[in-house]
Amino acid sequence: MTYRVVHRTHYTYESEVSASYGEAHLMPRETQNQQPYQATLTVDPFPEHYRERRDFFGNRVAHFTVLENHRELTVTATSVVDIRDRREILPRVGDLAWEDARDELRRDAAPESLDARQFVLASPAVGPTAAAVDYVGRSFAPGRPIVDALGELCSRFHTEFEFSPGATTVSTPVDEVLARRAGVCQDFAHLSMSGLRGLGLAVRYVSGYLETDPPPGEEKLVGADVSHAWVSVFVPHVGWVDMDPTNGQFVNNRYVTVAWGRDYSDVPPLKGVIYTEGEGQRLEVTVDVTTIPDDDPVLAQVAS
Amino acid sequence: MTPPPLTDLPVGYRPPEGAFDELYDGAAVRGHWTRVARTLDELGSMELTARANEAKRLLADDGVTYNITSDGSTDTRSWVLDPVPVVMAADEWAGLEVGLAQRAELLDLVLDDLYGARRLVAEGHLPPEVVFGSPGFMRQADHVRLPGSHQLFHAAFDLARDADGRWVVISDRTQAPSGMGYALENRVVVSRVLPDLYRESEVVRLAPFFRELRAALQRVAPTSAEDPRIVVLTPGPWSETSYEHGAIATYLGYPLVQGSDLRVRDGRVWVRTLGRLEPVHVILRRVDPQWCDPLELRPESTLGVPGLLEACRVGNVSVVNTFGSGVLESPALAAYLPALSELLLGQPLRLPSARTWWCGDPEARREVVSRLDQLVLKRVGDGVRTTVIGHGLSQAETAELRVRIEAEPFAWVGQDPVSLGSTPTLVDGVLEPRRSVVRGFVVAREKGYAVMPGGLTRVAGSAYDPVVSNQTGAWSKDTWVLAREPERLTGFWLQPDDTMESIEPETSMSQRAAENLFWLSRYAERAEDLVRQLRVASDRITEFAAGTNPAGNEAVAVLLAALTHTTGTYPGFVGDGTVGVVAAPEPEFRALLVDPDRVGSVAHSVRAMLSAAAQVRDQLSNDTWLVIGHLERDLALLDRNLPVAAVTGALGRVMAAMLALAGLSAESMVRDDGWQFMEAGRRLERAIQLCGLLRATITTRRDAATDSLVIESVLTAAESIVTYRRRYRSHAQIETMLDLLLLDGDNPRSLAYQVARLADAVDTMPLPEEHGLGEVEALLAELATVVTLADTNELARRPDPDEPWDGRPAPLDAFLANVLSLLGRLGVALDDAHFSRQLPQRVVVGAPLPAAFGPGGGGS
Repeated sequence: MTYRVVHRTHYTYESEVSASYGEAHLMPRETQNQQPYQATLTVDPFPEHYRERRDFFGNRVAHFTVLENHRELTVTATSVVDIRDRREILPRVGDLAWEDARDELRRDAAPESLDARQFVLASPAVGPTAAAVDYVGRSFAPGRPIVDALGELCSRFHTEFEFSPGATTVSTPVDEVLARRAGVCQDFAHLSMSGLRGLGLAVRYVSGYLETDPPPGEEKLVGADVSHAWVSVFVPHVGWVDMDPTNGQFVNNRYVTVAWGRDYSDVPPLKGVIYTEGEGQRLEVTVDVTTIPDDDPVLAQVAS
Repeated sequence: MTPPPLTDLPVGYRPPEGAFDELYDGAAVRGHWTRVARTLDELGSMELTARANEAKRLLADDGVTYNITSDGSTDTRSWVLDPVPVVMAADEWAGLEVGLAQRAELLDLVLDDLYGARRLVAEGHLPPEVVFGSPGFMRQADHVRLPGSHQLFHAAFDLARDADGRWVVISDRTQAPSGMGYALENRVVVSRVLPDLYRESEVVRLAPFFRELRAALQRVAPTSAEDPRIVVLTPGPWSETSYEHGAIATYLGYPLVQGSDLRVRDGRVWVRTLGRLEPVHVILRRVDPQWCDPLELRPESTLGVPGLLEACRVGNVSVVNTFGSGVLESPALAAYLPALSELLLGQPLRLPSARTWWCGDPEARREVVSRLDQLVLKRVGDGVRTTVIGHGLSQAETAELRVRIEAEPFAWVGQDPVSLGSTPTLVDGVLEPRRSVVRGFVVAREKGYAVMPGGLTRVAGSAYDPVVSNQTGAWSKDTWVLAREPERLTGFWLQPDDTMESIEPETSMSQRAAENLFWLSRYAERAEDLVRQLRVASDRITEFAAGTNPAGNEAVAVLLAALTHTTGTYPGFVGDGTVGVVAAPEPEFRALLVDPDRVGSVAHSVRAMLSAAAQVRDQLSNDTWLVIGHLERDLALLDRNLPVAAVTGALGRVMAAMLALAGLSAESMVRDDGWQFMEAGRRLERAIQLCGLLRATITTRRDAATDSLVIESVLTAAESIVTYRRRYRSHAQIETMLDLLLLDGDNPRSLAYQVARLADAVDTMPLPEEHGLGEVEALLAELATVVTLADTNELARRPDPDEPWDGRPAPLDAFLANVLSLLGRLGVALDDAHFSRQLPQRVVVGAPLPAAFGPGGGGS
């Protein structure tokens, strides 16, 4: 599938801002199953300094500095990506028991495994907690194939947790999310990571988008899509298995990956520092993910 | 010829049993200690104590401190120096020097790899957890490279002797190594209190090491910088080692800056100096890395500057040590250094760490867990706080520790304990053996590393303390490396003073420094003027204590009310309901002197002045600092319960200190930009205080006797009474007084004089880039005109409460009100013109949490 993603962030500040320094993880990276054809980031007012780079994890990052006085700031990321279904990896994992995946990770000297081991360790926002390990561990009976265990874990999140924007903040601890059985996708990602890391598995945080269908009979609304987050678990000799606890499923070809890291703090879509008198700021975000038909001339143009 | 070994113990020294002692080898004094031991013995207990006190005084005069921070509050401690040096023989030092340089080279190669190719991880030489699990490993610093041949710019290593006297590294300091400034200060002080011994001992000098440091800073600049500009970045006066930041900056001749002095523009770093932004190419970093860039690191930090990391990445600035250097401090890495030395250098590691086992390795973990009682256990990244000494733990504690290690094996190491050798230390006049640790310093050379000859020795704060830490009260010592024979012949080493090489700063002053100097001087003047006023009032109170002289009583009341008016400490002596206060003025009087919480009091002004001085420590001469130090100590002795009799004495001491400061400013300071700001601050404040005093005292006519007393008192407070008497030889009269205090351009206390000097200072200041001087110049011109056109005969026409007045404002009051308003506006205008205000720094809120339950979301 080919998608066009437009992610627009608009800030309105209470008082004049003399300088804005920003960092954005908004342009999709390439992955095994994803080819970005085109990605541009625009900042308004026009930035005095702008540079793109790759971060430690290979994600695309943009830095910008706006030094003229401004009351509003708009960051718009536009990209076209081609995606293959991530689930194709599942048959290759087969019925490998989860403990075997764990133990092989510690033994294997392949660069991919050595690199993955950092994702077992606690990260700034996600360390293993006893409660999370206990909750997640219920799906990990001894000898159980890892694909089964992960699949069940996902469905449990989907059925046992309430999706509830506003129930949590960026800094709500995973144990609280667990106790309330409510949160948003980032909370479910962090909570599942906490348990999986406690079991000794390498798991990373993925930020991106999910294409959403309009209810039957209604036209799709522009901007109705949202940023999303899910997790990815490493299986030695095979690769990373992406799963979405929020929606209770393995990641398919409707997920656009933007960036990954140890947790949310490595890859927030946008962060910044400003200099201004007033504390007030208002934020509006719209995300639009649209399918580009294979015969679309735009696609022919960007793919060439 | 070497003197015969001593057999007598100097000053009753008894080396400990079973541990290595620096001074004694069995029953004999070690050869290289002979001269020092003999001198200690000759000086004897009394004289050594006197020298130690002299050292203490010198350190206090230089303002050498160490801040202990706990629970958010800062406690400033004096730096404690034992004048008895540690002596190292040339041969032993030579071996240590090679070992330190080799260790630095090894760590450099490791650092280079960890932020570059990471082959050490990919090829299995270092477990990923040792690198990625270290809090010092900074992913944001990946691929940030320093130009030149080294990634590790400088480092410090804590060295201890094991029981056999072999040197062992007990910790590696690579994040932002501290201590070299203290080592230098120790050398300066010890060479002054033991001058003969120091000269005769032929100690290798420290200055060449600091020359290496300076050269290394120049070399590490981005290649694009033709004339690299270098700054020292400090978190500010309240950080643990802030004394040293200023000392190093001053010694090397580089400006000391805080994050708020810096800006990132166009991917480059700039320092806000007076009137403009100047480029910065190299930053000697003393701010912890996580606090350096609120954009990419801790967002709440105001100690750094947003965009700094990006400027480093682009290669426009070199920050040393690099942000990620802290990864080398991980005790887990120590377990792998011997093997890495063979791998990377093809040599055995000359200077080993204490033997270390990393618990992330299953085999090592089994070893550690089975020998917990024999090891020291450290949790990676926690520092000394979670260091556990296995010996002596109860069974329950051991079991708990085992559980903690098993739960988090990657985070723990076990280390063989190092016994720490002892060295003679002067305690209450007696030499005692104290456990000691030496911190050695290295800095990158074009090829290899330069090693400081000696270093900073610290000894345990008490006789049986097994840990040596400044946070728990360690003392420090100078470390003497004796010169080899051939070097003695050159005479080069005989230069006594390592401080001779201070270099003039090459960059213009930061706005923050100028602003603090301006306010330092304003507060000093404010305090001085109030002290004069208090003294005059105090004298009059004493003079008319009997209460039988109506004019005297009235004059005292006027002077007391004036104190309240000029300091703004209402109600004080002013208004209804203050009759009692006027009748018994002592408590209010005392408060105006010693209560630091009373805005406007002498104590408050002095505190504010000291706080400004702390911000510009590097700009002040040693003499200035000396006066400030005394003032601080005097002030600490004053309290709110001071007996009135003592107030006069205290006033005298504060006055003397203020005069000394003013004298230093006039006689000993270079007329640079900083001086112009101090001058402007002093003149502006003096003019304001003078006009305020006049307005509070003499705008109303009183009976002749009272008027005369008040006028005389005002002349005294304005330090012009002597001139007045000499010139007019008459009773004090209003016209002539106004001539002298307002218009006389030759009287350094007059308004006209202050306005003229202010104009001179403003003319000499660097021109501000953005705002321009329009308003400042307009106000100065208006002030000059107002003063020139003033007619003292007209001004002297004052309303008399007993005679009819035409109802128009009294000319003098109107004149003073106008001048005060112009002065106030001038203060604001100067501030606006030179010190551009940074708006508050704020974090941009992140996008709302990702969500994913759109209508029909989820799908298959």
